[in-house]
Amino acid sequence: MTTQNYLKIISKSKKPFVIYKSNKGFDLYTNFSKKIILTNKNIHSFINKISKNKSKNKSTDLYIGFFGYKILNNLIGVKLPKQKGLKFPKGIFYKPETKITLENKLNYKKEESNRLNGDFKININKKAYKKIFDKFKKRIKSGQTYQIKICTKYKNRSKIDPLDFYCRLMKSNMAPEAFMIKDKDYSIISCSPENLITKIKNFITTKPIAGTLKKSKKLNKTKALSFFKKNIKETKEHNMIVDMERSDLSKICKPGSVKIIKKKTVEEYKDLYHYVSLIGGKLKKKISSLDIIKAMMPGGSVVGCPKISTLNLLNTQEKESRNIYTGSFGYIKFNGDMRFNIIIRSILDYQNRSEISVASGVVIDSNSRHEFNENYIKAKSLMDLYK
Amino acid sequence: MIYIIDHEDSFTHNVIHQFENFDNVECDNFNKINKKNLDKAKVIVLSPGPGGPKDYPVSSKIYNKFKGKKKIIGICLGFQQILFCEKAKIIEQSKIYHGFQSEVKVISDNSLFKKGKKFKVGRYHSLKLKEPFYAKNFEITMRCAISKVAMAIENNKDKVYGFQFHPESFLTENGNLLIKKIISA
Repeated sequence: MTTQNYLKIISKSKKPFVIYKSNKGFDLYTNFSKKIILTNKNIHSFINKISKNKSKNKSTDLYIGFFGYKILNNLIGVKLPKQKGLKFPKGIFYKPETKITLENKLNYKKEESNRLNGDFKININKKAYKKIFDKFKKRIKSGQTYQIKICTKYKNRSKIDPLDFYCRLMKSNMAPEAFMIKDKDYSIISCSPENLITKIKNFITTKPIAGTLKKSKKLNKTKALSFFKKNIKETKEHNMIVDMERSDLSKICKPGSVKIIKKKTVEEYKDLYHYVSLIGGKLKKKISSLDIIKAMMPGGSVVGCPKISTLNLLNTQEKESRNIYTGSFGYIKFNGDMRFNIIIRSILDYQNRSEISVASGVVIDSNSRHEFNENYIKAKSLMDLYK
Repeated sequence: MIYIIDHEDSFTHNVIHQFENFDNVECDNFNKINKKNLDKAKVIVLSPGPGGPKDYPVSSKIYNKFKGKKKIIGICLGFQQILFCEKAKIIEQSKIYHGFQSEVKVISDNSLFKKGKKFKVGRYHSLKLKEPFYAKNFEITMRCAISKVAMAIENNKDKVYGFQFHPESFLTENGNLLIKKIISA
């Protein structure tokens, strides 16, 4: 069956499904036999039990889903104060019984029209943003954090067809870690470019992005690279993330095995260049999936550095729950292999409300107005989908 | 055995892997010190970390107790912790170095490293040593080639060593060699 026909059928069936970008196209998972809603109580046993499944070779021998930001904090012992915002589950995983391979071009005609209630509203205005920003700069001067990411949210009431959104987003912003989830009561649409964990057998890699440049006619890949190299702020932020990810991997990898496989390279996307490194290592013996998740999540590049102290600072300032934002989506196979991204550039649609979260980093030489505007640019490509 | 005291940094495991090149390593969080490990260790390493030396009284206590009895190595915050215990003032600097690669120069004849040698290092620090600084048997042996900020101290009598930069960073040239020399000193 063609991709287009299949998308039509799955949408009409009203069945929950997940689509995840693969190397060549997309994988669609559906016919879920189990749905696990994660809590602080069940998360340990859920992850630990996955590898105990006897069947290991089928392409559906896996759990696919997401961990929200809060549960990942709790997992490494960081507590969050009570926050406002949607009461959305902390994490959800599905056991699919069907996996379909889709072509790289997704074509789909929406069944219902998308509706939006006026303009998006931002939860932190320019003035409030500057206040938090200045507070964090002081913390950088006193050494409590070296880099910290403030999250802002754009919200609105809406009614959307998530599959239509995803297919259009893949035309405008194809990304290697893009995914969507459609369930009865919520949907997530994401064009995440960032892989946090790729684990195959005893080898694990992570691919942090720090540094983004908008494409223009004057630019090419070589020029983008020299821009990043000359830009001291981008270079410092990137260096910091590389050392932090090396350290996170070193928690679970054999001594001497952690290597920078690709050091500060440029990757080209439809509208952007990203400054990217690839770091990998060989896992120590007896490392569990839970050990890996606790070592790597939440991903350093969307939190700041050092992780624990920075998370604690962030959590005192962010009054609203990040929900899925800067959590991780992906799968754990029954044989222990896994792939997870960092949930950024995403829409969460729940109870007829859409929220788009964005963040950008505060380092000592960043400028509050610039970062605030940068956030808007990041959110805009997603808000444009509602037009 | 080398005992690393972790000040909850996101670079500590790089430090662990680097020291594992030379001996067995144990590492505990600064608020979960294992007395047995501490007593057994030949070398104590004070890790990098957020904040300043005043935030870690436990590490100061350990330094004061074991100085002269065990080899002590401090990195970044650990370097400042040693200086702080030696009555130095640790202050904010106007230019902040986070993820910064810069060149340091060995400036002393008494250093384990060759005087005049220059090499590139990775730096992650908001704070610095206030100078002039004097403490018995301590010498500042490396400085930033440009700003002249103190980058390493050595006390070869009591076997106390400290680096303001990060020998374990991928930005540091020959970081393993630096640690090897200090471990075998």
